[in-house]
Amino acid sequence: MRTGNRLALALGKGLGSTSRLFKVGGGSTLPGRAARILSPSLVPNMVKELPLGCVLVTGTNGKTTTAALLAGILDRAGMTPVHNRTGANLMAGIASALIKESDLGGHLAGRIGLFEVDEAALPAAVAETSPRLVLVNNLFRDQLDRYGELDTLASLMKEAVRTLDPESIVVLNADDPLVASIGRDLPHRVLYYGIDTDRYGSGSMQHAADSTHCAECGSRLTYEYYLFGHMGQYKCPACGTSRPESRVSAVELEMVELEGTRCRVRHPGGETTLFIPLPGLYNVYNVLAAMSCALALEIEIGTIKEGIEEFKAAFGRVERVEAEGRHMLMILAKNPAGLNEVIRTLTGGAGRKNVVLALNDNIADGRDVSWIWDVDFEMLRDRLGKVVCSGIRAADMALRVKYAELGEDSLAVEPDLETALDRGLEMVKPGETIYLVPTYTAMLELRRSMVKRGLVAPYWEG
Amino acid sequence: MQIKIGYLYPDLMNIYGDHGNVLTLVKRCQWRGIAVEVVALNPGDRIGHGEYDIFFMGGGQDREQVMVCRDLQEAKGEDIKREIEEGAAALVICGGYQLFGNFYRPFEGEELPGISVFDAYTVAGKKRCIGNVVAKSALGGKLGTVVGFENHSGKTYLGDGCAPLGTVTVGYGNNGEDKTEGATYRGAIGTYLHGSLLPKNPAVADFLIEKALARRGNDISLEGLDDSLELAAHAAAVKRAVKTH
Repeated sequence: MRTGNRLALALGKGLGSTSRLFKVGGGSTLPGRAARILSPSLVPNMVKELPLGCVLVTGTNGKTTTAALLAGILDRAGMTPVHNRTGANLMAGIASALIKESDLGGHLAGRIGLFEVDEAALPAAVAETSPRLVLVNNLFRDQLDRYGELDTLASLMKEAVRTLDPESIVVLNADDPLVASIGRDLPHRVLYYGIDTDRYGSGSMQHAADSTHCAECGSRLTYEYYLFGHMGQYKCPACGTSRPESRVSAVELEMVELEGTRCRVRHPGGETTLFIPLPGLYNVYNVLAAMSCALALEIEIGTIKEGIEEFKAAFGRVERVEAEGRHMLMILAKNPAGLNEVIRTLTGGAGRKNVVLALNDNIADGRDVSWIWDVDFEMLRDRLGKVVCSGIRAADMALRVKYAELGEDSLAVEPDLETALDRGLEMVKPGETIYLVPTYTAMLELRRSMVKRGLVAPYWEG
Repeated sequence: MQIKIGYLYPDLMNIYGDHGNVLTLVKRCQWRGIAVEVVALNPGDRIGHGEYDIFFMGGGQDREQVMVCRDLQEAKGEDIKREIEEGAAALVICGGYQLFGNFYRPFEGEELPGISVFDAYTVAGKKRCIGNVVAKSALGGKLGTVVGFENHSGKTYLGDGCAPLGTVTVGYGNNGEDKTEGATYRGAIGTYLHGSLLPKNPAVADFLIEKALARRGNDISLEGLDDSLELAAHAAAVKRAVKTH
């Protein structure tokens, strides 16, 4: 390593332990930000130390869960990933993960880099890490206030993927028309995955659907069925472009309420039956994505199955916490597609669900809260019991609930998250479940409050 | 009493939760016992004389906007103009607002013609105007504030044939230069504000409903609703806008 890199590394390591020591956080971005300013070539030089190269995981929804699933599999396969597992997914987060896992000479404890990357940061991440594999899971409207429009984002991503080493592999979701279009005419090896059964398909689309026009010619796509947002079995009636054939496919699905999903997956090596211990169709996609990456990295299918079946959710995404004899189930919902899927999950099972909906509008949540009007809250009619709306924009959330004509009898507005957590626990009896549905920074805050109450461990110890 | 809403291009122009505006109009009618019907107006559909009382159009991405521009020119523009002259109300947001002006001029390529409901034009800007907005408005002769979230790069300039919806106190508004936000002409409102706009600006929603009823000959003032949640959300949004500015 060059002297500049060494200095930057030493500074980064110092900042990381300081921020953990003073409990200002896990040190997940500050060390990397500082070190990269001091030495811009730090990341490109450090990744050269990884004998098995780098894998990048991107897409609007499910990055953290997919990367965590893949990390579990890589670990089992003895590939020891260096992984930005706290979900800090801009370049600074990647640099911080590398710094944390390295000694002062730049020698890394891991053998393969596994980085979840913000969609807009993909071009920079490709340039700096020269990945051997790039996964794109889905593209939804998320924080358009940061990214501009979805089509523009997709073409920037496509350009970035084109610059990959010719030996690199690209793993894409066949069911998402915009994502699938990234693989069209790409000289690289492309592995498509998807859901090949209409068991949970529907004839109409949720409001959160985004990409309904052909990426090639702009015509309106026609769908045999929709699965999740704009994902499904589609084709373009004008130019004939259609969903590419998926080589890793879920051919049978059976959802078991909030527990998870049983599925049969067809892949190039045969068929495998497994139980996904995470709820919702979106987690089926996350699992198919992680499986496809693992197969592309030539990991044996038995190891992959074990890694998935014994997976514990990344912090906050889906977290089960026990408190005062009550069950709390916290499910992160950071955009319309994600929240729609959470709602679909909540409609399952008997009885009315008691929920705390927490809406923040910090930069990491997106300043614009209008996305809640793209969510089909109406699906919850007659399914909700007591509702507490919380977070900085609690009143906006309460209005959405009101205009969906839900929770008329018991709709409380409590912006303070700590108090909302208390209210939530008060409104269910011991043995019952309270569902917490927060946006990203509201989730962090709720979790801090749970740490303080001794209910969960801090995420950097998790 | 009955009103009919023409929802222009719901599949193409539906970015940023604009659907919430239609939902708000529907609920605020239903809660008062006013029957309401929403009809989707897709490309190729025609607009009959006197058929709709309120038109709504949201924002869209560039590609969708070009498709809509073409259809407005070919199939609907003249009819919408006539209906507004005859008393129909309209709410058009962001991209929809731009297409209700005289034209949109991109950096390169052809100008997109508008339907000239508003005497206004839009030029592509280099900077994206993003953030919370608060504007003072005298819509319907009542002074008040309008609050929402803007996200646009086009800069809109108003001519003499329309009035601004309000004066910006926080945010950019039409062009970031002259402090105006949105446009009004007769019963039509154009604005850059998402949010959705109507749920937490109930006065704007009721303005549109009153115009629609008046067009049907029901010159009444609307029955009040319990807007405590709406006004709380309005106040919280204004406070947040000032803080995040």
